[in-house]
Amino acid sequence: MDMLRLQNLQKSFGSVRALKNASLTLREGEVVALLGDNGAGKSTLIKAISGVFPVDRGDIYVRGEKVSIRSTRDAMDLGIETIHQDTSLAPDLSIARNLFLGREPVNFGWLGVFAPLDLAKLRNAASALLKRVGISKKLDADALVSTLSGGERQSIAISRAMQFAAKVIILDEPTNNLGVEETHGVLRFVKEVRDAGHSVLLITHNIHHVFQVADRIVVMRRGEIVAEQTVADTDLLTVESLITGADMSALLKQARAK
Amino acid sequence: MRSPQFSSLIILVVLLVVFAVADANFLSPLNISNMMAFLPELGIIALGMTLLLTAGEFDLSVGAVFGLAPVVVMLLVQNAGVDIGVALLAGLVLCIAIGAINGLIVTKIGISSFLVTLSMLLVVRGAALYITQGFPLKSWDQPGFFVTLLAGSFNVGSFRFYTSLWWFIGLSLFAIYVLRYAKLGNWISAIGSNHNAAVARGVPADAVKIWLFIATSVLAGLAGMISAFRISAASPVAGTGYELEVIAMVVVGGTALTGGRGTILGTIVGALMLRAIRNGIVLIGVPGLAYNIFVGLIILAMLILHALLQKNAASG
Repeated sequence: MDMLRLQNLQKSFGSVRALKNASLTLREGEVVALLGDNGAGKSTLIKAISGVFPVDRGDIYVRGEKVSIRSTRDAMDLGIETIHQDTSLAPDLSIARNLFLGREPVNFGWLGVFAPLDLAKLRNAASALLKRVGISKKLDADALVSTLSGGERQSIAISRAMQFAAKVIILDEPTNNLGVEETHGVLRFVKEVRDAGHSVLLITHNIHHVFQVADRIVVMRRGEIVAEQTVADTDLLTVESLITGADMSALLKQARAK
Repeated sequence: MRSPQFSSLIILVVLLVVFAVADANFLSPLNISNMMAFLPELGIIALGMTLLLTAGEFDLSVGAVFGLAPVVVMLLVQNAGVDIGVALLAGLVLCIAIGAINGLIVTKIGISSFLVTLSMLLVVRGAALYITQGFPLKSWDQPGFFVTLLAGSFNVGSFRFYTSLWWFIGLSLFAIYVLRYAKLGNWISAIGSNHNAAVARGVPADAVKIWLFIATSVLAGLAGMISAFRISAASPVAGTGYELEVIAMVVVGGTALTGGRGTILGTIVGALMLRAIRNGIVLIGVPGLAYNIFVGLIILAMLILHALLQKNAASG
């Protein structure tokens, strides 16, 4: 089933056409890697999906239904969660409070913003979640996010998206600035997310990571989607040449001859 | 035990002991009553300032609002013959308007709160000076419901307390509740800690900030009224320099100037500390003109201590 379908999205900033007829489909339980050089239009595309700004033209379908995404709240309500490297968590808040930020469980809900947090529920739900994602051994739900490593923060942000049953999780450069071990932890986590039935759109510069976790690869160049291939049917050099647009066929032949 | 408000509390206790040993009058009922009369006036403003700082903004116009609000109320009562209740309502509306303007310019136009509220300080102080022509108003000491409500006094043994102490206690409890236990407090801390993350989770950051500017402004006006009623007079220069004293109380208590980490308990300790320092230094005979040197040095020492503790916590 198609979780997310983008049809002929267009977006211009002044005279710059950042997106030209971009179309893309994300199926249930698959990881699609979105690749492209700087300025290829990757960020514009994910910002359009996550509600940062509207597109000029084109349609977005979620589970086959045409939707209109006008704000980040709209995107979240449709089950689209976007996770950026450094902008996802508040470091001075505990893990539990971060997990429920903006969707806090409260008692006496009629008190509005003055309603007391349901601290027991907050804590229990956070602990259960940490256990489910396999990081409970090390992490306490009451620990401040500022005490966590980059990989742990990334895992917390991803598990928060899973918890709210996000249909589509967009990961924007999730392994930037992470150590080798942490990177593997996050990539393993991405696979678990997929196995749990979520669809993942993975934006990354690192082609090696793509081959480890992605099912399909979509390559963008100058605002257009120039290729779409399953990982099984392609290889590193082909993908690299697609990204740069350079003709690497000679190199490819050489490589295959070996 | 490494929490900033706890280390502030220890310093406060040390200061109190030092002052008490240096001068027996420090703990006399009269002196304690005096300190408790002044404490709520700056303390009430500090509560609003703590929430605002936690959300990553601050307000330099509070001292000027402290001066303007009672001037406007008293002028309406004395010169225009307006009922005191109506005049107080007008003062409240004025404070709400000042806070709302601060908040709207900071959030919607995106100018730093330092610049916006610095300008507002000049506008508000200038307004107070202009409408009074620079002179303090006639003294006004007609008793009544509102005067008793804001500045009534009562005796406990040989201590004399003002109702403003109840206001401070009540508002402190409410602020502690909001910041630590309410949904709003989670939002306030998140906004100050990582604004983009809070907005991305659907937290209405601009609205929260605007309401905090309004609350701070209203608290400053309330404190100004309490002070004016207590001394039965309103002066256009009342509250000059209070903005910095209030911010000092808040940061000495352990609230981060950069947002995200706020503590109301720390602010109460900070307010007590600055009040005790101002009072104790005079009692132990530091010359009046040298007195700000000591206040400044003690604040600096507190901040260095917080910074060192922070560093230790990070590396340990």
